[in-house]
Amino acid sequence: MTTENQFTGGSLLFDVLQQHGVNEVFGYPGGAIMPIYDALYDSDVKHYLVRHEQGAAFSAIGYARATGKVGVCLATSGPGATNLITGLADALADSIPIVAITGQVATTAMGSDAFQEIDVFGLSLACTKHSFQVRDVNDLESVLHQAFAIALEGRQGPVLVDIPKDVQLAAVQKQCLKVSTIPNKVKLPPADVTKALSLLTTARKPILYVGGGVGMANAIDEVRSFAKETGMPSVSTLKGLGALSSDDNPYYLGMLGMHGTKAANIAVQECDLLVAVGARFDDRVTGKLTEFAPNARIIHFDIDTAEINKRRFADAPILGDLKANVPLLSCQLEIEEWQNKIVEMKQDFGWQYDHPGQGIFAPSVLKEVSEKAPKNTCVTTDVGQHQMWAAQHMNFDDPHNFLTSGGMGTMGFGLPAAIGAQVSRPNDMVIAVTGDGSFMMNIQELGTIKRFNLPVKVVLIDNEKLGMVRQWQDLFFQGRLSETDLSDNPDFVMLANAFGIKAKQITTKAEVSDAIAEMIDHDGPYVLQVCIDALDNVWPLVPPETANDKMMEST
Amino acid sequence: MNQYQLIIMADDKQVVLERILQVTRYRGFLINGISAEVNTGTKVATIIMQVSSERPIELLVDQVNKLIDIKSVSVDNSVAFENSATLLKLSTQN
Repeated sequence: MTTENQFTGGSLLFDVLQQHGVNEVFGYPGGAIMPIYDALYDSDVKHYLVRHEQGAAFSAIGYARATGKVGVCLATSGPGATNLITGLADALADSIPIVAITGQVATTAMGSDAFQEIDVFGLSLACTKHSFQVRDVNDLESVLHQAFAIALEGRQGPVLVDIPKDVQLAAVQKQCLKVSTIPNKVKLPPADVTKALSLLTTARKPILYVGGGVGMANAIDEVRSFAKETGMPSVSTLKGLGALSSDDNPYYLGMLGMHGTKAANIAVQECDLLVAVGARFDDRVTGKLTEFAPNARIIHFDIDTAEINKRRFADAPILGDLKANVPLLSCQLEIEEWQNKIVEMKQDFGWQYDHPGQGIFAPSVLKEVSEKAPKNTCVTTDVGQHQMWAAQHMNFDDPHNFLTSGGMGTMGFGLPAAIGAQVSRPNDMVIAVTGDGSFMMNIQELGTIKRFNLPVKVVLIDNEKLGMVRQWQDLFFQGRLSETDLSDNPDFVMLANAFGIKAKQITTKAEVSDAIAEMIDHDGPYVLQVCIDALDNVWPLVPPETANDKMMEST
Repeated sequence: MNQYQLIIMADDKQVVLERILQVTRYRGFLINGISAEVNTGTKVATIIMQVSSERPIELLVDQVNKLIDIKSVSVDNSVAFENSATLLKLSTQN
């Protein structure tokens, strides 16, 4: 029981969470976190019981990515904590603000190889932005405030707070601290854009290269205005998708990189100036780094000093908040010849959806889902061929509406991320696009979807293969198909039904439109299993360590 | 391999030394020596670290600087380094 300012460590946790506007958390109880779950019993915070702690971490990520708010997950010590680790790594790679709370064995037992004891504080060093272990309950309030500040400030990321069981139980007086900010970190000086403006106004073939930082900095409007005023052709990373759209930008070429559009990759290779905004020259984007955009000078906007010159020298770095800095470069350019060439390439290299036979062509299905889904639908994906088809063939009007594991490439992300997105945005449709390999990685979360009757739609692209690995084995390993066959998958319709979820399997083109309509019109959760040819490949493909304009294409 | 000497000022917080070592290893730098002590009055740690790598030192400076408890990082090859008696004098919480 707590009086106005008297708390236990456990009850103080929920009090501080609510101060930060956290009304929903994702977790799984266990021995060393029981005092926190006991405090939850009296709390107004709603808890979503997942069926595996990895699901809690990905749900928190989905919650954060769909809203821009901090996602929170809870797990017990030992295996509970280690099961969160993949999610923390995913959040670090994609700069996602989550706070993970782990129970720990009592301080007196720490370091004794106690039951369910693991040094999660030590494990966290490589997969969090920062971490804390609270050994004195009087530090708990301050630490929790710092955790939220660190998760959100600057380049966002995951923070872990490990709380021993005796600290959770200890009595503590609330100090009513002000929400803290990060110590030590000095504010960046105002951006000097003189050199960047000079580069921009003299460029004849500039390209705007938009990354995931744009959505996280809430600089979408600023980037759209910049693209419109300059008339600069643009491309996007996987995580930047949704910031720009062909609907309102005739010079937008879609995704660049390993599975980027042919037009995007050729344009970037030919450009004389690359304006990177919240992007980090990731290896999946650049292909062979020494041959990436070989004629281009670089203007690099970023919040993170460490990204400047990390992979590519920036002729004009612009550090700081994208929302404030991008408009500083706004100007009108005379690049009509380049614009005309871009439009021509866009027409010449557009997607083809003619696919022989009665079998289903996954890109067509995803395009149709995208066209028929309601406005503001949030799409999550897993990792593999279906992920790249979704990135290529679905349209997004906001980066918060396309949640995919970019940096870490974590299979099993899509379903629990969709749960988090649906919890945070109950009035929007949420569609998880998955593959048969990925779906099985966290399929237990269908139980969470059913328990809370979350109307998540699942589009399962099923080729009975680990399709992307199989494609690479065919292309680069002489067709030696090692451990990529999944033809003994369970009956997914029966499996979904066993969780109490409506499901349907389709195998021919003729069934696609009606099935998509039925899924979208269904009130509750729904699994649509789309069976495709096991040998369908994702094209184009830039082979590893190859320049982006030397892509392989469908024959 | 290029050799560098880093002067790192840090708040004396939990596992700050472990964090620096983890980042240094992960970013591809070998640690040739380390000297660390804490001013118990200000609770600021001074860590002098000799490292070697083929990679540019700016990579490590930027990444260490991102750690939350770090106050400053500089490269200074002129400071004398006590090779014979490497000190680890951080407080018990490190």
